[in-house]
Amino acid sequence: MIRDSAATPELVIRRAHVLDPSTGLDSILDVRISSDKILEIGEGLRGTREVDADGLHLFPGFVDVHAHWRTPGREDEETIESGSAAAAAGGFTGVVMMPNTDPIVDRPVVVSGLVRRVDLESRVRARVSAALHVGLAGARLTEMRLLKEAGAFCVSDDGLGTASAGVLRNGMLYARSAGLPVILHCEDHTLATGVVHDGVAGSLVGLPGSPASAEDTATATALVLAAETGAKVHITHVSTALSVALVGFFRDGADVTADTTPHHLTLTDELVSTLEGLYRVNPPLRPDGDRCGVEAALRDGVLDFVATDHAPHASEEKELPMEEAAPGFLGHETAFAALYTDLVLGGRLSLARLVEAMSCAPGRWVGEGGSLGVGAVADLTLVDLSERWAVDRDALISRSSNSPYLGRALSGRVVTTIVGGELIHDTTGAKFGVRA
Amino acid sequence: METRSFLSLEDTNREELKDILDLAAAFANGRLRDPLISRTVCLAFFEASTRTAVSFELAARRSGAHVITLSEKGSAISKGESLIDTVVTLDSLGADAIVLRHPAAGAAALASRHTTAPIINAGDGCGQHPTQALLDLYALSDALGGFEELAGRRVAIVGDILHSRVARSVIPGFVRAGIEVSLVAPRTLLPLDTEAWGLPVLSSVDEAMEWGADVLYMLRLQKERMTGARVPSVAEYSRFYGVAQHHLGNGVLVMHPGPVNRGVEISGEVVLDASSLISDQVASGVCVRSAVLALSTGAVQRAAA
Repeated sequence: MIRDSAATPELVIRRAHVLDPSTGLDSILDVRISSDKILEIGEGLRGTREVDADGLHLFPGFVDVHAHWRTPGREDEETIESGSAAAAAGGFTGVVMMPNTDPIVDRPVVVSGLVRRVDLESRVRARVSAALHVGLAGARLTEMRLLKEAGAFCVSDDGLGTASAGVLRNGMLYARSAGLPVILHCEDHTLATGVVHDGVAGSLVGLPGSPASAEDTATATALVLAAETGAKVHITHVSTALSVALVGFFRDGADVTADTTPHHLTLTDELVSTLEGLYRVNPPLRPDGDRCGVEAALRDGVLDFVATDHAPHASEEKELPMEEAAPGFLGHETAFAALYTDLVLGGRLSLARLVEAMSCAPGRWVGEGGSLGVGAVADLTLVDLSERWAVDRDALISRSSNSPYLGRALSGRVVTTIVGGELIHDTTGAKFGVRA
Repeated sequence: METRSFLSLEDTNREELKDILDLAAAFANGRLRDPLISRTVCLAFFEASTRTAVSFELAARRSGAHVITLSEKGSAISKGESLIDTVVTLDSLGADAIVLRHPAAGAAALASRHTTAPIINAGDGCGQHPTQALLDLYALSDALGGFEELAGRRVAIVGDILHSRVARSVIPGFVRAGIEVSLVAPRTLLPLDTEAWGLPVLSSVDEAMEWGADVLYMLRLQKERMTGARVPSVAEYSRFYGVAQHHLGNGVLVMHPGPVNRGVEISGEVVLDASSLISDQVASGVCVRSAVLALSTGAVQRAAA
């Protein structure tokens, strides 16, 4: 990462409303940061370099365990630099990069190359997920122990899933031996043959549907195998009420965690009626019944956290009929605001639980960040909850603009993001020593 | 004379192990002349074998027995005759012992329930290979200076334990001899419950060295398992589960039941290194199998050994 901790001067963030469910902090406080760590939290702290955060909320930095930065292979859509800048603009201080790039991240040399580039190009703490199987083809396992030595943080079948339960089971056993967590994309391609959710909205406009069972059967398989093998398994982008129930059933008997996305929490398949390629995503947007189930599960902790599945696509891949469009949405820059606007201001989720789901829980999962305790790494996000802003195509920092929230007004804006004590995204001017 | 099938080492205690190895030593020293004279030993091999078949044949001949060899090709086995029918036929023809190699676990025990002649298990599927474990104990005690020297030694068994009949005999045999055993393999090559034997499970040969292994017992990785769903690649396997020159030098011994995959579980130079007991293991096969044949047929009483 672009950082030199020794050169990072002391910084005092003053009068912020500090909210951190991991430590129970929930009041107006000052935070002193030095040498990339949180040094002191209290009242009346002063320093030579200060940010006046009066009226702002201070959270542990958000952590996104599901991002596609399209590097290597599609740098026209996103780079490590642009992806990490978009993440920083959304308040994220840590990210896990998915392996379905071109080439696929299935060899140690690709992992070590990415780790080196992340070190030079990323503003946030970016971790590399390697592929679970060679070429994500679902047949041969990758060299997970060599991948780990090369710097891989976890393995994943994201984007495609694993067709064979036998391969998935061996992958889990081997990943457990290699000491790597497994992130799973649960989708049965013999069922997922459509482009939208198989429901009323898709039927009325004549789009081929993928049934919820495509996700549910694959999720059930993954959970059963996770319980049997004892592997550390994370189910990503859970989008149906039944899959949520399955996760709930297996939580206590397996080393299993799960996430859902901001879009599956805030959007439904009503958008299918627009027939716009922009709204194609995988798993598809579901009916409100599923959305409600997913929301309740996030509230209750059955779903551990939110991950964005940030998936940039060039406009020529999205400005197409639904059936020809590439699936995927941008996620980093709008995640907090979309969830704050729809769920927190809508009275359906507490702000504390949202912070827990965006910072603390994913931070625990990656083993770093997500907490504002004294001595913790200084990964922080300052948010102005009162700011209302429009999601504007031209203002997006990502190289792509396929946000499903384009044109919408959202509440809550990230004003400053700090990674390891350094301001990596800042709209207050404090970077230059100016008191806001 | 009392005959006894020899199917596994699971019911063999330490004293019995020592008796068999002492008898094997007597054979090796030429102190026993033709104890199996005028007897007939039948080798029924339902599966290919080089060293086991040859050493059983030598063991039988050097003990004075007639030997009839039945291999898969050129016998009624290739006509589809069942295991039981084949061994019953050999029994009826007057075999005094039937040495059986078969691709299915439990074959030897099944055969033994249908014959009066003792069955000697020469390897059945992923089940048992008890004479291999005995010859390993013989070669190892020879290298260490006697059977009593085995107790308290540490042996790491490395590789495809899940599919290994050698491991299923070596583990109980070595444990009964007082050896501390650990297992080294990825979970794809171990039983789902890795505690099946109640032994420590380690994750690499390096870790086995830290554990204090006196012996690295390397198992053969079947070719069809080298790249695929259980082992990602030869490069990864040999890096973590192979023994290389740098592991040697501090007195650690290397064993392997053969045939060796050079460059996979064992590097070429290790095979030839002074720390390798591989050729001693093969050489021990004849006298150990003579002893097993003599005891099973009742030609030599255990107490007399």
